[in-house]
Amino acid sequence: MNPFALFETVVAFRFMREGLTQTLLIVFGVALGAGVIIFMSALLAGLQANIIRRTLNFQAPIEVLAPDQVARPLRGDDSTAVAARVQPRSQQLRSLDQWQKIRVAIERLPEVAAVTPVVTGPGFARRGEATKAVSILGIEPESYYDVIALGEKMVAGRGELGPTDVIVGTELAKDLGVEVNDKISLATATTASSTLIVAGIFDFGNKGVNERNVYVALRTAQSLLDLAGGATSLDVKVRDPFAAESIAAAIRGLGDVRVDSWIVTNAQFFTAMSAQILANTLIRIFVGITVALGIASVLVVSVVQKSKEIGILRAMGTARAQVLRVFLIQGGFMGLTGAILGSLLAWVFLLLWRGVAKNPDGTPLFVVVIEPSLFVIACLGAACVGILAAAVPARRAASLDPAVAIHG
Amino acid sequence: MDERAVAGETLRLAGVRKSYGAGTPVETEVLHGIDLVLRRGEFAALIGPSGSGKTTLLNVIGLLDRPSAGTIVVAGQEAGALSEIEATRLRGRAIGFVFQYHHLLPAFTALENVMMPVLAARGRADDQMRATAAALLDRVGLTAWRDHKASDISGGQQQRVAIARSLAMSPALVLADEPSGNLDTGNADAVFDLMRNVNATSGTTFLIVTHDPRLAQRCDRIVTLVDGRIVADEINRDVLRAG
Repeated sequence: MNPFALFETVVAFRFMREGLTQTLLIVFGVALGAGVIIFMSALLAGLQANIIRRTLNFQAPIEVLAPDQVARPLRGDDSTAVAARVQPRSQQLRSLDQWQKIRVAIERLPEVAAVTPVVTGPGFARRGEATKAVSILGIEPESYYDVIALGEKMVAGRGELGPTDVIVGTELAKDLGVEVNDKISLATATTASSTLIVAGIFDFGNKGVNERNVYVALRTAQSLLDLAGGATSLDVKVRDPFAAESIAAAIRGLGDVRVDSWIVTNAQFFTAMSAQILANTLIRIFVGITVALGIASVLVVSVVQKSKEIGILRAMGTARAQVLRVFLIQGGFMGLTGAILGSLLAWVFLLLWRGVAKNPDGTPLFVVVIEPSLFVIACLGAACVGILAAAVPARRAASLDPAVAIHG
Repeated sequence: MDERAVAGETLRLAGVRKSYGAGTPVETEVLHGIDLVLRRGEFAALIGPSGSGKTTLLNVIGLLDRPSAGTIVVAGQEAGALSEIEATRLRGRAIGFVFQYHHLLPAFTALENVMMPVLAARGRADDQMRATAAALLDRVGLTAWRDHKASDISGGQQQRVAIARSLAMSPALVLADEPSGNLDTGNADAVFDLMRNVNATSGTTFLIVTHDPRLAQRCDRIVTLVDGRIVADEINRDVLRAG
């Protein structure tokens, strides 16, 4: 069946053609609105993904730790507390109890992508006269690289870690004056120092991390930090970073553990990102309302202009529902056509953005992914907005009294 | 077929009243109990001074407006009990309209304007619809103008297209409200002759509101309305003798 032979479509398209200037103006208006929404959405999604990627570059979305040690208050025979003041207990470096079992349990969760054990503790890196305070991270490279993309951040050397290997950041390498295959000494407060060979140098693009983190094999860290067979934390990668908090809650239910999600540990950043999402949503809503009002105003004028024609159509047997559909089709068409044009506009601008927004080294400022689904959603959304916007003028047209409309 | 409908009758009005502002202090009754029967094939004129209620009566007969009281039977169907949707369907099927101003849709061609009532009734265009509309345009002498926009043809031609459009659904009754009011004498006569010809060949009943006594005298029957009442309803013997 040819939809363009239907009474409603024939009349709707002829009405739009009759007021071509009006129709084109509103279609361009919708195109600009839809273009702005698509362009901004793609840009902000790219920016957001970039910030998240950079944040989660060197931080696991979820960290599972041993619970805090708490001081137990003295109690009398009748279980009443007798200590006037309970001093918080100092937290000693200790392993996560039964971490292997917990690891297996976490890996079973469907939202979890990867789990890796880590031994972390403070230490000193020495070379010659230079000494720097560092954070020692003992890792299992094969599983750790699934959580943190350290392997991709290597700027020199290799990512494999033997018992005597260490991977350092670019800042620490500069401070200690070391290159790949040079030796450095790592020491902790509890054990004697150990001499290790620099197997690789990484750059996370973060000065603090490049200066502080040193990566050694898990067993090496266990030995250095006097935690034989232990792991101070389990780093967890999740499929949806925004679901980290709910997954953390599920992990808390697995045993006596402390679980920190990146959402909590980066609360300020997350608040800023939520504000950005809210601002983007508000802009989209207001642009959508503006588009809807534009379509509605054009159709209201059209109903007034064509009231006699509507009256005569009604007199010759056209039902109210048919008149209603004539104007709903116009609204939907204006919304859809405008959104298709807007999609093209946004696509061109996104390509231009890709070409223009670059770092001094020529790499993209951030990656903007042009998602086809965004265009489809925008087009369907604009068509719905157009139909909704046309509802009021369409009802007005359908309720016109033919006798009044004809005789003015 | 309604029980009260009588064979051969196209229209029956019984005690039709129409008031505006009902239930308010300014309630005004415009039609005061109209009784009127039009038989199939009649060609009647409705005359009367301005403000006598002619247009109101035409709106009520054409189901564009509902009476405050009384019975209306159109093409054998009582219209009073019909819902708005049913009344619209009956109007589309049984009644054709010709107005003083042609009220053609300017964005459409003459042919499309004639097709419009059938398109509205059937929902979608087809070749048979086009052929019927073309035949109607041929009948009103506008074959050469069928693909011209309604806005691109003369006033007389526009009114002839409007007549063709009023016949598109082969209605039992055509209501014409001052169909020649906007035309010069020559075009007025041509339009009138056209309606007479349709009446004679197809048996369609016509009720024509006119202020022109010359045209009224050419109708079979003259109904005179004054202050919302039919004061005269005469058979025009001269026309019948000439016919």
